[in-house]
Amino acid sequence: MFVGIRMTKKVITAAPEDTLKRAADLLAENRVHRLPVVRDGKLVGIVSDSDIRNAAVRSSPPGEGAAGAKTVGEIMTREVITVTPWDTVEDALLVLQKKRLGALPVVEGNQVVGIITKADVLAALIETLDIEGIGSRIEVLLPRDAASVRKLIGLIAEKGIEVRSLVLAPHQDRFVAFLRLVTIDAPAVKATLRDAGFTVAELEDFLD
Amino acid sequence: MSDEPGAFPGVPVLSDAPPEKDRILNEFSRLIGDRALFGAEVNPEILKKSEGGAKFLLREPPSPSKLLALWGALFGNRISPLRLLELLGPTIHGFEHREPLLLFARDRLIYDTRIAHGGEHIGEMTLAFRTEFERGEGLLGLFRGRTLKIVYIENISLREQSSGYASALFRYYEELFGRLGYHQFRLKASLSVGKYYWAKEGFDCLDGSGVAQMKTRLLALIRSKGLPVREWEIDRLNHTYDVALFRKDLKIPVYRNREGYYALERDAEHPEEFFLPVGKAFLLASDPWDGYKVIYTDTPRRTGFIYSDRYLDHRTRQGHVETPKRLETLMKAVDRDGLRSSLVFLKPYSADPEILAKVHDAAYLESFRRVAASGADFFETRDCSISTESYEVALLAAGGVMAGVDAVMNRRVENVFCAVRPPGHHATRNSAMGFCFINNVAVGAAYARAAYGVERIFILDWDVHHGNGTQDLFEEDPLTYFCSFHEHPTFCFPGTGRRMERGKGAGQGTTLNLPLRPHAGDAELAELFDREVVPEIDRFRPDLILISAGFDGHGDDPIADIELSERSYEHMTHGICEAADRHCGGRVVSVLEGGYHRPAFASSAIAHLRALQGRS
Repeated sequence: MFVGIRMTKKVITAAPEDTLKRAADLLAENRVHRLPVVRDGKLVGIVSDSDIRNAAVRSSPPGEGAAGAKTVGEIMTREVITVTPWDTVEDALLVLQKKRLGALPVVEGNQVVGIITKADVLAALIETLDIEGIGSRIEVLLPRDAASVRKLIGLIAEKGIEVRSLVLAPHQDRFVAFLRLVTIDAPAVKATLRDAGFTVAELEDFLD
Repeated sequence: MSDEPGAFPGVPVLSDAPPEKDRILNEFSRLIGDRALFGAEVNPEILKKSEGGAKFLLREPPSPSKLLALWGALFGNRISPLRLLELLGPTIHGFEHREPLLLFARDRLIYDTRIAHGGEHIGEMTLAFRTEFERGEGLLGLFRGRTLKIVYIENISLREQSSGYASALFRYYEELFGRLGYHQFRLKASLSVGKYYWAKEGFDCLDGSGVAQMKTRLLALIRSKGLPVREWEIDRLNHTYDVALFRKDLKIPVYRNREGYYALERDAEHPEEFFLPVGKAFLLASDPWDGYKVIYTDTPRRTGFIYSDRYLDHRTRQGHVETPKRLETLMKAVDRDGLRSSLVFLKPYSADPEILAKVHDAAYLESFRRVAASGADFFETRDCSISTESYEVALLAAGGVMAGVDAVMNRRVENVFCAVRPPGHHATRNSAMGFCFINNVAVGAAYARAAYGVERIFILDWDVHHGNGTQDLFEEDPLTYFCSFHEHPTFCFPGTGRRMERGKGAGQGTTLNLPLRPHAGDAELAELFDREVVPEIDRFRPDLILISAGFDGHGDDPIADIELSERSYEHMTHGICEAADRHCGGRVVSVLEGGYHRPAFASSAIAHLRALQGRS
């Protein structure tokens, strides 16, 4: 999945000569945490709510006016880490996590075309796992081979049950399959899978 | 005893200490000495023409042993003669009984009194008490094989009308004779005014076919007048009670004669025109009927029970947990527990398209009808196993809840349990899932609004699964509060119903989800119910409470991981009934949802039913 599909296209930006007061207002009005700073459509920096807060704290004497009169250009971060619409969501996920960032401007050439935030990536995850879809979740441990996966899916297909999502993850020397199934009678499915030799995680396994 | 206008006189609790034989005999002699006790030859014709003239052929009282034998059969040792006379003649609204007589006939005891108001003689009343062996069918068949104690209202005539006296006296008598162990009131409603009044008090045709005849005649009347009343509206009437309250919005002309009798056509006899609601007009202009009313002797709350064998005709595939056997098990448990005699059994009817359209898309219903009729194995999803009659049975399940709403709104019962299937709370506007096709509880809510103008409705869903269908239908509606207990969505179908889901738009704040962690039990549930649900009901102040009552949260039920016992269902039912008493006259309509471990399901449902009746 590409960043271009998941990103927020309507980007709230600031100009370098905007005052911090103006930038703070933009953040509050739009309920966002950071503003790419753009001059002539080109990305020149990024400023976050904590940058503005820090500037306010450090400015002396304290009080209104002093910090509010500073400009975005004076405090913005100039080295901006960006992605392009053709980078993948996995790329964005790794950058966000490893660089401990909250959002990445998306650029095409010099132009800002979007922004991808942690929330956008989480939304992608929610959709992938279909967490909000109707169904029952079960977790199955199986040998780490494709034949076992085929057997697992075969049993579910035989029961005529619709699969909403399936995530297969390595778990020590085995696979763990997270299945969301469209059935209210999850206990019946679990019984079938156990009879076929699969290990179905018990509730106790989730609880601690 | 209270004598304020409009006040309902309290019936004193009867003493536990039974009167002794000697005392009863003693009191008989005193009454004979006071010329207040006679023997009597009963001739019903004389009784009916009693106005002003001699009512009875009086003779000497029977022997003490005969007096005692009849007294024993009618009142056991519950009450002495003087005490009975005292309780039969309460002063209500300034009306009092004068010169009351007790008359002993061979098979009955008669109470005869003059009624005075402000010192003036304004009417008379005759009651007869007797026992009969019941051999009837239908509703009366509930008492098959039992000796019924019956109060006959032989005559009541008052020259002052509309005083509220007759109605207050009747309610007082209903409670009094309930405590005395009586089973029925019976009367012949021949007076046009009395007929409407008694029908409204819940009297029914003594002959089961009477209601059917009444419906046929009502249908003919509606056709002849070209009234905008649909046939299903008439089909829905099961009782003269319902006829009396039928279509209050629709008035038709009736014509009255000098005696106060009504006719539907104007003629020389009946010149005076009135406009009356169609149900009232019809009753006032129709034949007299023999009526009865059941008295609930040992049931503090009158709980209705909606059930039909047709509910067994939704047949799921072999091995499916939502099986007709669930209801078979429940009905056996109802019999075993002796609940048949104290529950008021009511019949469901089929939900009509006008009401269903408020909940489901027509295209969805049509698709369900077609797929079921085709003989398919399931509808939409494999969970929703069907048979050819599933569509009709599902309409009858939704209509069962409508019949339940009728019963509580018309005050025929205080609360009601609808033992319906298929269940409904997962069904959304246009999809079936989780064994559900038509959202029964939502249909009930929509119907209560449309037919009775009920404004604020609180729905408590304690099925172990989140009632996602019901939430979907009402999450934007600020007047329908949806509150659900269920196993946490991460662990259980349907995966919705998180705390954060509190409603949408105008309905923000009138959805409350209370997910239970796996293995939660009675203590956790009771704590949440008392701390969150009850205060929320009190804040919302509902006009009607509906319950989506699934019993699959029981510890023995394999479908989920919650470990409730019967005590939880009892606790919540008591809490709901108390809240309903505070806000909406006790009106609770409980609708069966899940419950798959059959013995646990039956014992939980019985605990719920007993709690609805106000028992522990």
